[in-house]
Amino acid sequence: MQNKKTIFVCCGTGCQASGSMKIYQTMQKIISKLDLDVEVVADIKKTGCHGLCQKGPLVHITPQEITYIHVKTTDVQEIIERSIIKDEVIDRLLYFDKQQNAKIQSKNDWSFEKKQFRIALRHCGCIANDSIDDYIAKGGYQALEKVLKTMTPQEVIDEIRKSSLRGRGGGGFLTGLKWSFAAKAQGDIKYVICNGDEGDPGAFMDRSIMEGDPHTVLEGMAICGYAIGANRAFLYIRDEYGLAVENMKKAIADAHARGVMGQNIFGSGFAFDAEVVRGGGAFVCGEETSLIHSIEGSTGEPTSKPPFPANQGLWGKPTIINNVETWANVPVIISKGADWFASIGSEKSKGTKVFALVGKINNTGLVEVPMGIKLREIIFDIGGGIEKKRKFKAVQTGGPSGGCIPESKLDLPIDYDSLIAEGSMMGSGGMIVIDDRTCMVEFARYYLKFLSEESCGKCVPCREGIKSMLKILNDICEGKGQEGDIELLEEIGSMVKANSLCGLGKTAPNPVLSNIKNFRDEFEAHIKDKRCPAGVCKNLTKLYIDQEACIGCGLCAKSCPTAAISGEKKQPHVLDEAKCINCNSCRERCAVDAIRVH
Amino acid sequence: MQIIINGKTYAANPGEKILDVARRNGIEIPTLCHSEALPGLASCRLCMVEVHENGRTQYVASCTYPVADGMEVFTNSEMIAARRKILLALYNLIAPDSARIKGLLARYHVEPFDRLEADPDSKCILCGLCVKACEELGTNAISTLNRGTKKKIGTAFNEPAADCIGCGSCAIICPTQAIEMTEAEGNRTIWEKTFELLRCRDCGEYFTTPESLEHVRKKLGETVGNIEELQLCNYCKTKRAATRLKDGLHLDEYLDSDK
Repeated sequence: MQNKKTIFVCCGTGCQASGSMKIYQTMQKIISKLDLDVEVVADIKKTGCHGLCQKGPLVHITPQEITYIHVKTTDVQEIIERSIIKDEVIDRLLYFDKQQNAKIQSKNDWSFEKKQFRIALRHCGCIANDSIDDYIAKGGYQALEKVLKTMTPQEVIDEIRKSSLRGRGGGGFLTGLKWSFAAKAQGDIKYVICNGDEGDPGAFMDRSIMEGDPHTVLEGMAICGYAIGANRAFLYIRDEYGLAVENMKKAIADAHARGVMGQNIFGSGFAFDAEVVRGGGAFVCGEETSLIHSIEGSTGEPTSKPPFPANQGLWGKPTIINNVETWANVPVIISKGADWFASIGSEKSKGTKVFALVGKINNTGLVEVPMGIKLREIIFDIGGGIEKKRKFKAVQTGGPSGGCIPESKLDLPIDYDSLIAEGSMMGSGGMIVIDDRTCMVEFARYYLKFLSEESCGKCVPCREGIKSMLKILNDICEGKGQEGDIELLEEIGSMVKANSLCGLGKTAPNPVLSNIKNFRDEFEAHIKDKRCPAGVCKNLTKLYIDQEACIGCGLCAKSCPTAAISGEKKQPHVLDEAKCINCNSCRERCAVDAIRVH
Repeated sequence: MQIIINGKTYAANPGEKILDVARRNGIEIPTLCHSEALPGLASCRLCMVEVHENGRTQYVASCTYPVADGMEVFTNSEMIAARRKILLALYNLIAPDSARIKGLLARYHVEPFDRLEADPDSKCILCGLCVKACEELGTNAISTLNRGTKKKIGTAFNEPAADCIGCGSCAIICPTQAIEMTEAEGNRTIWEKTFELLRCRDCGEYFTTPESLEHVRKKLGETVGNIEELQLCNYCKTKRAATRLKDGLHLDEYLDSDK
């Protein structure tokens, strides 16, 4: 009798941070020592990200389809005894789905998964992230074989053009069109680059793909190499992404050993080789011309376009540079066809997009959804709504230089064009959910500060414009805002957007401008009334305890670092404004929302 | 090939930039980081123009944007003028004493910001011309350091540059005179390094450092004809060339025939 099971332990960076490697090792140790009548063939696989990082470490068992969350090393023995040797389900380790109000056995049935549609993340969590065999077993490298054996380079480009795939790194340029420029460009040496310099705070889809499914990126790049006539590729990976670098390097070595990379691939005569370059550490290196200069060994600063990299890129040669997620879509388009791909999504944005759903949301993680899905569906159906049942205020899309979309636009179908029309952008797919305790002025200030540090400083509008806007926003948050500040921010902001050299500057004022547009009253409250309605800006906040709401539990008084709160047990407490330093600790602790902002 | 600038048609050559055509025809577009000898920096963003091309309107840097047949360019549209004012007001914050910036502010009727204070000690606008000049003419002795609002121009590790040959290209090309170069008693000091100066063989004025002369000699290599000519100041070099030209063309005869 044989009992064959596979245990998938998520070993993405998120789950590793919560100790998944120890779980993996403990599992191996226990399984290897098993001495039973039943032959247990348990295959333990280290996988990439499953998506719901907040509940990690995640362990998934097939064929029963059981998913355990928050697994600890002390749970391993029990999991093996009950779910591997026997077929029992450990109720305690299952995910409680608030929307369905029930414990759910398999991740496939989580509300988090229901509206998702996975193309780029199709293998993440389902295959061992260090195994070319697993990738091949899932149909990997068949797309490359198909193009090399049955398609001309022009046919490959036509297919990608027909799919209407747009760049997933943020710009949204038509991938097939870009490839056609490089294919037409003169020159016997051409290059393919993977932009893996994911730098947006809170975004981790590219990292997860490189960690969890490195071969799909390599396969996509090789297909492009064949289409445009390039034989060499570079993967520029953010230096902090150690696991992505490690997995990608192993994937390249394995692909060589299997003959899907190197000379004469699939007997076609086509040669293709790739190497990993570790990023130089600047956010601006995600901009394509800066990235190219960084690979060349120069300072990572942008240069003006034209010339576009497709004509004159790395070392002056025609170069196609696409983002990780874009590459991950390519093999699927070739395998399943452009028509299939173009049937998914909205009118002008086809396929899916991966979003990193973070912030004040219940289900933090990676989600992949069809283009055109409504924001409401992502935040409330997949994301499970706002943390601590608070009120949704806005969602920032597109990373630090994206704008904030307010509640009134929750039914906006999400695609490249709708987000730009709202003063935001797709960016690489960051999605930061903001609740009513976030100050929109301070939020804009925070991102502008980030950008002031990360602007390369080459062009004056970006460097000096951001600096001046930041000075004004600092003043506003400190209560030193002046009449006319809003208009000045708008004037400088629109100049920075129009006059800056590269995409960083052209989008940097977005958080400020979109917040002024959608939350102008908050700016005015800061400037005119010297009041921060969200209670965040310390100089502009005065807290008080609502005497009717307070139940006298005393939690606020315990959490106060300056002993500003006093009161009898079970009696309404009072807050001494003179002692209060507006740290908001009491407000966070209060279970009945009795701490209010003047 | 023809392009239309501010409603008038001008001839243009493929590969030229909008700024080239405009300047050739006397159309004013302000710049700070542009030098005909070292084009393509595109960092000052003052030369932005509005371009109507293939049914699209774009705002581009005229110093790097290539011309295309039939393209329509506006150098002073409402948007361009308004943004230029804001940008110049920002320049005034970082180089308030620069004559060039003051001139531009006056020329374009720019009111300085009341709300934001200019930095009285700041002179450099970080356009990068000096770095490019050092790269092309000198020895890569200076470069940009740091990034973002902490960016500056300097030597490696802020130490007197080992590579600097004291040619002064950086200081001469700087649009805001932000690089200090002093000359006294036959010495030149730049980037905290002092060089001895050579005298011109003809007029005897101090004119360059032995290090830069050696650099030029090495760069020219075999092609250098008259080594003596390298040891002349610009004025005397021009004088000698003019004399040669006059002699070669036998201008004396023409001049004499007037008598």
